[in-house]
Amino acid sequence: MTAIAASTHAPASPGTRVWRIVRLLTANPMTTVGMPLMVLGLIFAGTWFIWWLIMASMSGADAQDAAEGIRYNGAGAWIFVYMLVVAVQAVNLAFPLALGYGSTRRAFSAGAALTFVMLSVAYASIMTFARWLEVLTDGWGVLGSFFGTNYFATDAGWLAQWWIYFCWFVFFFFTGLIFAAIFVRWRAFGLTTSLLALGVLVVAAAAAITLTDSWPRVWETLLGLGTLGVASWMLVPAVLAAGLGHLLLRRATPRS
Amino acid sequence: MTTVIRVDGLSKTYGHGANAVHAVSDASVALEENRIHGLLGRNGAGKTTLMQLLTGQEFATAGTIEVFGENPVENARVLDRVCFIKESQRYPEDFRVKHVLRSAPWFFPEWDQDFAEKLVERFRLPVNRRVKRLSRGQLSAVGVIVGLASRAPLTFFDEPYLGLDAVARQLFYDTLLADFAEHPRTVVLSTHLIDEVSNLLEHVVVIDDGRIIIDADADELRGSAVDVVGVRSAVEAFTAGREVLHRNALGGLATATVAGLDEAGRAEARAAGLELAPVSLQQLVVRTTTDETAVRTNGVPA
Amino acid sequence: MDDSRPIFLQIAEQLEDDVVAGRLPEETQVPSTNELAAFLRINPATAAKGVNLLVGQGVLYKKRGIGMFVAEGARARLVAQRRDRFREQYIAPLLTEAQRLGITPDQLATMIREDGR
Repeated sequence: MTAIAASTHAPASPGTRVWRIVRLLTANPMTTVGMPLMVLGLIFAGTWFIWWLIMASMSGADAQDAAEGIRYNGAGAWIFVYMLVVAVQAVNLAFPLALGYGSTRRAFSAGAALTFVMLSVAYASIMTFARWLEVLTDGWGVLGSFFGTNYFATDAGWLAQWWIYFCWFVFFFFTGLIFAAIFVRWRAFGLTTSLLALGVLVVAAAAAITLTDSWPRVWETLLGLGTLGVASWMLVPAVLAAGLGHLLLRRATPRS
Repeated sequence: MTTVIRVDGLSKTYGHGANAVHAVSDASVALEENRIHGLLGRNGAGKTTLMQLLTGQEFATAGTIEVFGENPVENARVLDRVCFIKESQRYPEDFRVKHVLRSAPWFFPEWDQDFAEKLVERFRLPVNRRVKRLSRGQLSAVGVIVGLASRAPLTFFDEPYLGLDAVARQLFYDTLLADFAEHPRTVVLSTHLIDEVSNLLEHVVVIDDGRIIIDADADELRGSAVDVVGVRSAVEAFTAGREVLHRNALGGLATATVAGLDEAGRAEARAAGLELAPVSLQQLVVRTTTDETAVRTNGVPA
Repeated sequence: MDDSRPIFLQIAEQLEDDVVAGRLPEETQVPSTNELAAFLRINPATAAKGVNLLVGQGVLYKKRGIGMFVAEGARARLVAQRRDRFREQYIAPLLTEAQRLGITPDQLATMIREDGR
């Protein structure tokens, strides 16, 4: 067919096709970089001020106890939920636009996965660097522990610290991706059904653990795994979600 | 002439059994390269579904589709040359107009940035406004600008005039013609405002109730039907044995839209004391798509 | 543009009119098909079809790389053609209508002579 020869441009390489999805998903850097860093900064400043108030009103041993309590604060977890929402919106709304631009579903799915892994690397690095500063400054001068809460901190070195953050970011991104993919494919009905199914599974697991009196063993296992082990295990559902999400998007149609 | 789009026995059905909706039924059509094709039909006739099938966004229930000689579904060789911004196109939540204009060139190798900027000015599009805060007309303008500036070898415009005022619509038509003359490409223009675009079109496909009911060159259609007006009995006598697309009667007077009336037929009508009036493309489409299907929408009998 | 006939025929007729009326003298360049299309707001292919029709009839000819020009003797030929058609296009309906109104050919001739002065 001569029509095929009519195009003066060589067809884009698979790498180009995937990379332009990465660019599309980060076309507005305010969403993926500006906002999260700003809000993280604000929450950090607010938390630091509260710590400062607490520490200023205490002395010696009391302060040590309080610092121990501070290690359980959940303010730092906010950014993970934000990234889950970023993933949901990216897949739900960028997908129809990418297809309108003449992208394949395959390229979109690969591009989204690549974007999320890259963002995970970047944010894990930022969080690890912040943790390093935190240790260096003796908890920002108030024995605070914003980037090294008990859920994420490790004694196994900076690489392990980075890995823990990376795994959690990957987990949240791909959790967002799979639910967005379910929504894109089956709309609200699919989303509700899958969330219900997940809820039933969690309750059933909890019931099974309770009935077999296994809670102590569960806690033991989790403690045994440590923050590093738990984070690493998070990659398993993340990889499953990535694979399943890819399969779902391959047959999804953009609806209006 | 090279055929860019070839569709054979194409059907798309949503749902099953009694609830099945036949959005596209057994459609067969061929679109030639470097022409402006009109995809005409009423709202819900199946225009958007057909375009989604042609761009691999939907999966066919039956039949074959060839775009640039290949199946478009998940086919990067085909889709790299296609631009289809839907009338109801959705954009990422955080996108401003400038983000659309920034991202589109990554996907279209023939993108013309100067042209895009000129169009933004001409359509007075606020580049810093969030896409979801745009008016209907501004949203249409975004789609029009991406479609035009993409210079994609196969570009779809899906009811691009929605919300645009008369000036902006004329601006689109004029720009499309001028740019098409300089950069010939295959354009599919979906619309139900047929009078506005009938002079732009070289080829016309009319879809109704999911079926393709007209597939012809625009010039061939022009003058292919004629209104015969006169005394009812004379009209009835004249139209006996002829193909009548539409009938209308008021008291003793009757009008019949007759297809394919040749010079001899016209003379015969005049001799019978009947008046002849031309039928515009729009009237032709209206008359061929109303009668039996008037009460149906999206293939579901009301 | 009227709706009763193909646009390319109407384009061709308009150009013919211009040649007959002397608005497009012989050996002058006619607007390009793209200019015609933009000006008349029609598809360029349709405009080209109309122009090509006149090329086929020898009214216009193509100078390679420059454009379309009005051929020598085009006006005379068009005028002759139109004279032939004049009878069927104007005289025949005139007579039909006159007959309907009871005007005899002689009376008609008188009318024409009077108005033609």
